[in-house]
Amino acid sequence: MNKNNLKGFEFFRGLVAILIAIAVAFIFIFICADDPAQALSCLLIKPIISNGALNVKSILTILGRTTPTIFTGLAVCVMFSADQFNLGGEGVTMLGGFIAVLLGIYLPMAAGVHAAVAIIISAIAGGAVMLIPALVKVKLKSSEMVTSLMLNYIILYVVLHFLNNTFADRTKGSTQTYEFLETAKVGTVVQGTELTYGFFIALIATVIIAIFMYRTRWGYAIRMIGINGQFAQYSGLKVGTIIIASQIIGGVLSGMGGAIECLGRYTTFRWLELPGYGWTGVTVAILAKNNPIFVPLAALFIAYLNRGCELMAIYAGVPAEMLDIIQAIIFLFFAAEQFLSKTRQKLVVKEAKQEISAKADVKGENA
Amino acid sequence: MLNQLTSMIFTTSFGYSVIRITAPILFAALASVVAEKAGVVNIGLEGIMMFSSLFGVLFAYWTNSWLVGVIGALVIGAIFGLIIGVFALKLKTNIVLAGTAINIAGSGGTIFLLYMFTGLRGNTANLTTPQMLIPRINIPLIKSIPVIGPIFSGHSVLTYIAFILVAVVWVLLYKTPLGLRIRAVGENPNAADSVGVSVLKTQYIAIMLSGALAGLGGAFMSMYYSQSWNTGITAGRGFIAMAAQAMGQCEPVGTMLSSLLFGFASALGNKMEGLPGFSSYLVASIPYIVTVIGLAIYAVTQLKKARKRGQ
Repeated sequence: MNKNNLKGFEFFRGLVAILIAIAVAFIFIFICADDPAQALSCLLIKPIISNGALNVKSILTILGRTTPTIFTGLAVCVMFSADQFNLGGEGVTMLGGFIAVLLGIYLPMAAGVHAAVAIIISAIAGGAVMLIPALVKVKLKSSEMVTSLMLNYIILYVVLHFLNNTFADRTKGSTQTYEFLETAKVGTVVQGTELTYGFFIALIATVIIAIFMYRTRWGYAIRMIGINGQFAQYSGLKVGTIIIASQIIGGVLSGMGGAIECLGRYTTFRWLELPGYGWTGVTVAILAKNNPIFVPLAALFIAYLNRGCELMAIYAGVPAEMLDIIQAIIFLFFAAEQFLSKTRQKLVVKEAKQEISAKADVKGENA
Repeated sequence: MLNQLTSMIFTTSFGYSVIRITAPILFAALASVVAEKAGVVNIGLEGIMMFSSLFGVLFAYWTNSWLVGVIGALVIGAIFGLIIGVFALKLKTNIVLAGTAINIAGSGGTIFLLYMFTGLRGNTANLTTPQMLIPRINIPLIKSIPVIGPIFSGHSVLTYIAFILVAVVWVLLYKTPLGLRIRAVGENPNAADSVGVSVLKTQYIAIMLSGALAGLGGAFMSMYYSQSWNTGITAGRGFIAMAAQAMGQCEPVGTMLSSLLFGFASALGNKMEGLPGFSSYLVASIPYIVTVIGLAIYAVTQLKKARKRGQ
């Protein structure tokens, strides 16, 4: 199949996956909503249009909510491109947020510089932590997946330990740190929405990662390992170093995402469980087909659904957790290489037949 | 302090709780063993346990019978195993991603399904009746032996089944034709194929068995361990189980031993929670740290072996 047809087919396939998921969502909504029409409009329309007009605040909030998942999505893109199933984004995001908030509280600095320093140090910490599964993989040939999953829980409990026993603000009813200094805040673009300047940092990060992956030697090496690791090795690439580098980059991005999210959306650190952005990042990367440029779009799609489900929970009584089922269905079909393979086969056959008959025509004319 | 600790560990109630805490991890770890042996990585254990723990309670509630609940959980587990199988084997989704999708669906989807079926939000504590809970049994002779009795007697039916299954899985893998096929397919699918073993069929069977085992673990959690279903009930046990399997070198007995290690560490954490000077959170992280170190040590020994062979 030629390249354009292939792209068209991929697009069609993605669309079918989304339609299947939405069809399932419809069925669920009809079963469990008192007023299915209301629930559907909450899910699909209300996030952007309310009372017949564009709901700008809601749209900006949706944009703002893409911030952490753009970061974790990019992280997963880079690591999966190198064929590294590192699932530690979840924990590293939490660690990044925690470190950033602590720096925001205890390390006074000038406005602007403060937030930047906190984010950079969190990012470095994230990269350092990801060294563990990376080194274990390269030096010991032990699965980075299991190590990184364990790492999530180790980080969770270590953060909870320090949060509860060292840094807790005892004057508050719930477990949280003190408020971080105003100087460390990642500013909100429009008051009353969740859109912070972090969103723009996320877009810049997307461009940088996209250039890195497709326009630099390192990015090429990372993708080459993913496409054919043995070939990469035989052609003289330093596979080990590149694998380690891909996971460090993943850690840096995740840590950064956690830091920006905490310094942007909250005033204290109050995550008492793993935040879930790491897993959403996997979905985002799958939707973006591991191409960094599509990550913001995929994150936007998930954020839209997220907001829709939230509104549906408020106005129509359908639990917002329906999102997880929709997300999983889209995810499964998107990642399924053989999904609609028969249709694809038919397309290929049709195209081949056309080519043959075209050739035959040419021959006929010549004769 | 140390005295306090040793006096805590050397009690029969501590031994009892180690076994109780180990059982659900053991179910899932055996599930991981069966799948891994057939060359399919089942990372969806966590999600499968979430679904089956919920449906176990629901089936038990609808029929007012714990047995139906347990069987229902087992069937639901197998069905989700099949879903992973269809996507991974037929539609060629990367199996790690297929499992991850099930985990994502399991974490929030169960909350949604609970609401859809019952209108309840977040937990099923209101539904629980004594008939829905897996009964405990006292083993006649052992019950009356001092020390041994209080530790090993009085567990739930499913707890004993978990440990019996270690032997069953071992027999299945090493003494039956199916087990031979599973191992052959896992070790070298092409070779297995060439002697007429259906690779796909064997892998389907393995992933469904794996799901069913994880389903039992789910039933254990909701119908015995915490007596009702609640959000986040499995709390990462599916992931711990994968680690236990890796640490147990994918052998049933080794996996049981590493599961017991997790059970021990968790039980210790529970006991230490109230003690001054101990951080329950840091104790809770011990099993995970032990896993990472254990896996690393295992990997080093394997590498050394490989190097010796190379010389």
